[in-house]
Amino acid sequence: MSFTSLEFIAFLPLVLLIFAALPVQQRWLGLLLASYFFYGFAQPINLLSLGAVTIVVWASGRAIARTAPGPWRRLMLGAGLTVILGSLFAFKFYNFIADELSLATGQWLGTAPFATAHIGMPTPVGYSFYAFSAASYLIDVYMARLPKAAGVADVALYVAWFPKILAGPIERATTFLPQLWNGLRTNPFRLLLGLQLVVWGLFKKVVIAENLAPLVDRNFKIAAFAAPMELLISVYFFAFQIYCDFSGYTDIAIGISAMFGIQLMENFRRPYLARSTTEFWGERWHISLAHWFRDYLYIPLGGSRAGPVRRYLNVMIVFLVSGLWHAGLGYGVGWTFLVWGALNGFYNWLGLATRGLWRRLGGLLPRIAASTPLWVVRAFITFHLVAIAWVFFRAKSIGDAVEILKKIAVRLPDLPGLIPHYPFTYEHYLGFGLILFLLAVEIVDEKRPIVQRLQASPVWLRWGASYAVVFALLVLGRWGTKEFIYMQF
Amino acid sequence: MKPEVKSAALFVVIGLVLYAALFYATDRLVYRTGRSNPLYKIAVVDRKSFDWVILGASHAMPLDFADFESFMEKEAGLHILNLASPGTGPLYNRFVFEQFLARHRTRNLLYVVDSFAFYLPAWNEDRFTDAKLLGRTPFETTTARRLFSYSLNQGVDFRAPLDFVTGFSRINNRERFERDIWEGEKQFDRVFRPSPSMTKSRITYLYPKPPTPAGLAHYLEVFDGLVALAQQHGIRVVAIKVPVPPDFRSQIPNEAEFDAAIGQLLSKRQVEFSDFSGSMAEPRFYFDTDHLNRSGVTELFEKQLKPILISSTASR
Repeated sequence: MSFTSLEFIAFLPLVLLIFAALPVQQRWLGLLLASYFFYGFAQPINLLSLGAVTIVVWASGRAIARTAPGPWRRLMLGAGLTVILGSLFAFKFYNFIADELSLATGQWLGTAPFATAHIGMPTPVGYSFYAFSAASYLIDVYMARLPKAAGVADVALYVAWFPKILAGPIERATTFLPQLWNGLRTNPFRLLLGLQLVVWGLFKKVVIAENLAPLVDRNFKIAAFAAPMELLISVYFFAFQIYCDFSGYTDIAIGISAMFGIQLMENFRRPYLARSTTEFWGERWHISLAHWFRDYLYIPLGGSRAGPVRRYLNVMIVFLVSGLWHAGLGYGVGWTFLVWGALNGFYNWLGLATRGLWRRLGGLLPRIAASTPLWVVRAFITFHLVAIAWVFFRAKSIGDAVEILKKIAVRLPDLPGLIPHYPFTYEHYLGFGLILFLLAVEIVDEKRPIVQRLQASPVWLRWGASYAVVFALLVLGRWGTKEFIYMQF
Repeated sequence: MKPEVKSAALFVVIGLVLYAALFYATDRLVYRTGRSNPLYKIAVVDRKSFDWVILGASHAMPLDFADFESFMEKEAGLHILNLASPGTGPLYNRFVFEQFLARHRTRNLLYVVDSFAFYLPAWNEDRFTDAKLLGRTPFETTTARRLFSYSLNQGVDFRAPLDFVTGFSRINNRERFERDIWEGEKQFDRVFRPSPSMTKSRITYLYPKPPTPAGLAHYLEVFDGLVALAQQHGIRVVAIKVPVPPDFRSQIPNEAEFDAAIGQLLSKRQVEFSDFSGSMAEPRFYFDTDHLNRSGVTELFEKQLKPILISSTASR
């Protein structure tokens, strides 16, 4: 079920009513049933994979918790992780690898590609997200980070919690389960706050992302024939499309959870205001995934304590694995994601290599280092570096991505002169208008949260802002178009 | 009443008032920009009775492109109303015709038959939820009631009446300020250069699945209901197939079976049926893969349609 569907608009109030009617001790059961209904609504077959992951992770967790530290405990963790992450890898890459191998072997032998068996079912929707949640649960049990053992129902709700199951955030059991154990309660303030987040998330998805999508889709599809100006606009639009699509989903997930008294972690923090790619990936973009990689991959690999060479290697490994994790995200499984990961890893290498220099310069010129113009310049450069990487993320192939970047780069000096004569359409103006609006909101929010500002403002302004967003959804929203990009695993 | 509840109620009431204003404004806009939507035409036409009403899918629409309908009216001395709309089969056509009969009268009904529209819900039940059609349909309580009735009895998705009464597609219409002109009308004076690949993709679009006898039987029954309705009102029904290019015609699947089935139904109902589909082979008569351009409809009217239309005056 999609958050933008009519079914969901009926589903959510119904679940809220059931939640309110149930005694606090039994609310988890209502939410568990609702989560399974939500997940199985479109494709009931997906419930099998969800049930299987839940049983595997609960049984492994139980076995780990009952075994004393030592090789057996490690073995159980390894077995559980192999099943969970191995199945994720197989779902994502088996068909791709089989095809690539068959093609390569055929070319090597000078024959036609071999016919290879494929996995006959698509990856269950949201599998990447709940597989990572499940894996984090196992590691946290192994590390004894949970205050008490979780029952099968607790684990089931943690894995299946409907607002986050399709596209995160990848919440940790260490923060999620204690909330369940303390009893789920809500109040009018949480309901209102949750509703505001849901509406804002919908605005980002349905008004901004969906209005940017058609132009992006069109031009990335015909990269070889599109004009450089159109490609440049598409690159900018895609950077904001993917941000609004994904963070819109997250806002809705966090908002809905708040309505039920569950606090999910922040997943985006105005990423395009980041002053470096390290800040972008470490503190502002898909924070739950970044922290997952930090805690369960980067640190176990030795992190920054194993010497500079290992540190650089670890950074690159994390970004390459992140690239693999993102593969299949609505744009197929291809080598582009690996390049995307490597490029971001390279940016972070540059960041690490020049960090000392910037620090020393900042110490010498503290006023300039803290000045707004420098912040703007750094955010501008960071945004463009990230946008270049997004081209590999979105393009059909590495060749297409290179073609797009080449066409833009070659004609870049002429582009400013073309702007006054370019036949901009309503689609362009609307897209740029929405992007500017979003940036204005985020700049204001960066200085002091808008929620706080609105709470302190007169009622006409508060209500006016709410009506403006709701009516923009009705008037400008593109409903019933596409699923959330990050759901399409 | 608690202050928070009072405040929430006031917020909702103001929101509803704003929504009502938006609903009204967008409905007025439909009247200002209206042109080809059949329900819009029914709502705005002054005349109570007509000599001919034309129903069908997009192949019937060129008869109303540009000023061609007034040309036909002048030439034949008749009052004609074309209520065809793109991609619509007999179920949607019947809905439109019922809506027409609620306020107007006609002596004759010209039904332009297209086999693709007799196989799939995509061209019938599903068309009721099309935002493009709903977004150009002015609000009327009779339309809303009929939509609810179709939703209950004809398998139309409940979202169609819900969308219509809330005015969602009118409010959400991205082309709200543009005139409601079907893209084909903009190419009316164009001559198409035949393209086998475009013809093939057009056929695939119109016939996405192999035709099934069950689908055909169902929509023939719906069509039979439409003919019966007309005949109950004393309306003479004439069915035609308009010309299409030979390349297009040869690729239509199951056409012989379709012709036989519809021929049988029409003859049972004593409806005249003229098949002109193979009568105009030259590409100069078409603006795209299968629609007549100005030269094409002029030729069709002069040579084939005019005698049929004028024949109605004999029975006046």
